[in-house]
Amino acid sequence: MDMLASLLHITPAVLWMVLKVVIVFGGVMSLAAIFTWVERRGSAMIQDRIGPNRAALFGKIRIIGLAQILADGIKMFFKEDLVPTDSNRNLFWLAPFLAFVPALLGFAVIPFGKSFSSGGATYHLSVLDPGNGMGMLYPLAIGGMAVYGVLVAAWSSNNKWSILGGMRASAAMVSYEIGMSLAVVSIFMTTGGYDPSEIISSQGGTFLGVLPNWNIFHQPLGFIVFFTCMFAETNRLPFDFAEGESEIVAGFNTEFGSMKFSLMALAEYSHMMTASALIATLYFGGWQVPFVQNPPVLLSVACFVLKLLFFAWVFVWIRWTLPRFRYDQLMALGWKRMLPLAMVNLVFHAWRMSQGH
Amino acid sequence: MAVVVKRAELTWLDRTYVWPVLQGMSITFGHFIRNLFTPTAKRYTVQYPEMKSVIPDGYRGLHELKRFEDGAIKCVACFMCQEACPARCISIEAEEFSDLNITQGFEEKRPATFKIDMLRCIYCGMCEEACPKDAIWLRKDYELAAYDRLSMQYGKWDLMNTYDEVDGKERISQDPTPSVPRRTIAL
Repeated sequence: MDMLASLLHITPAVLWMVLKVVIVFGGVMSLAAIFTWVERRGSAMIQDRIGPNRAALFGKIRIIGLAQILADGIKMFFKEDLVPTDSNRNLFWLAPFLAFVPALLGFAVIPFGKSFSSGGATYHLSVLDPGNGMGMLYPLAIGGMAVYGVLVAAWSSNNKWSILGGMRASAAMVSYEIGMSLAVVSIFMTTGGYDPSEIISSQGGTFLGVLPNWNIFHQPLGFIVFFTCMFAETNRLPFDFAEGESEIVAGFNTEFGSMKFSLMALAEYSHMMTASALIATLYFGGWQVPFVQNPPVLLSVACFVLKLLFFAWVFVWIRWTLPRFRYDQLMALGWKRMLPLAMVNLVFHAWRMSQGH
Repeated sequence: MAVVVKRAELTWLDRTYVWPVLQGMSITFGHFIRNLFTPTAKRYTVQYPEMKSVIPDGYRGLHELKRFEDGAIKCVACFMCQEACPARCISIEAEEFSDLNITQGFEEKRPATFKIDMLRCIYCGMCEEACPKDAIWLRKDYELAAYDRLSMQYGKWDLMNTYDEVDGKERISQDPTPSVPRRTIAL
């Protein structure tokens, strides 16, 4: 690595950083693209259909329809890029990026594997090294930024459906953020720190001798609240109020076409990846391998990726199981159920800590 | 009289919403697993160009002009089908053939041209009903597509050639003088 760095005339630290950025964001983006296909195939399987299985490389190699992603991408790139006449052109152009970037950025602090040291230097497997002072607050803050993507997209397209979708989505996202943050706060309390690496390392070992020492077994209520809020955050069914096809056409992305629409869709899936990573980190021990005390680095990375994929699949799975909530039901659930439950969870764990557990 | 609809009593477990969600998820996952381990060919979906569903009897598809054993057309150009056709897609021109008979003129009548405009045809089967000679039948072929409109004008020889392969009959030779060059889609 030092040799490669000197060849490129950069310091090894910068090279390592660049590598991490490329691997993490490239990986998340390609996973998001793959999950557009997984969503379609998975929904088809759930509904006894077959789904896209025909797209083939060079018309010959049918890799169970995975070439569909390529076909979609090529199609999207070559479509005409329409901008509505009365839209705010600059914001309309900016909106997909505002949606896409925060969805990816949240991933930056999440460790995707165990830190290891080699040649006297310690390498951390997360884009931002632990101890950066932001910790878990960073993905929460970035998650708050995701509202702007939806709202700017809705506002700039000058369309009534869009603005309705955007308003509903932003209201939902803002209200669920509170419950989510409170659920996370109780994890910060029991961990005694808000750095993701601390949260993960506190989840090693076993709980009651038979279960892995994951936070979900300590705080099942907090998990339910956090998990539900994550669905509202990512704007996915059963809380997809930004889109709501049956009510407001396609909501905030009604006017978006070609690659802009594709970027919006990719933003949703990247958001899903980040959300799954957060769930895995906070409640399922991140890279911790159950019942393995000091796992090898590669095993820890594999375990994290497995957890990530599982939760991404759960997002798909739930989408094709549950119908959409009504808007007032969503708000009632957010403010009258999730928020009090999160508070109960917080107070309970505060009390438990005061009793010396 | 008002009917009091008895609402289903929800247990506390149902009210949590979490348990019913898990039940629903188990159902969808069951479907997912079942379909995951079923080969594509054995699922409900008929993968069209490779698989074809069985066409039920009584299906009304492409027409066939029936022939006698010796290959002569059964149609006597009586124009009944042309009259019965609600879409007016059939156009027939009659001709006389065989020997000249002293008392009755020519002995037989047959269509010189028998055209069906498949773009206008609604496959209602009225021509089949109207035919006094059972000379026109609607068969089960449904893959009728072409690159241009002219190719959808089926003439007498085309319609006499529309036997199913399963009938075991040989196709008669092509129209010796095709009026329209035809380009049909080869599947």
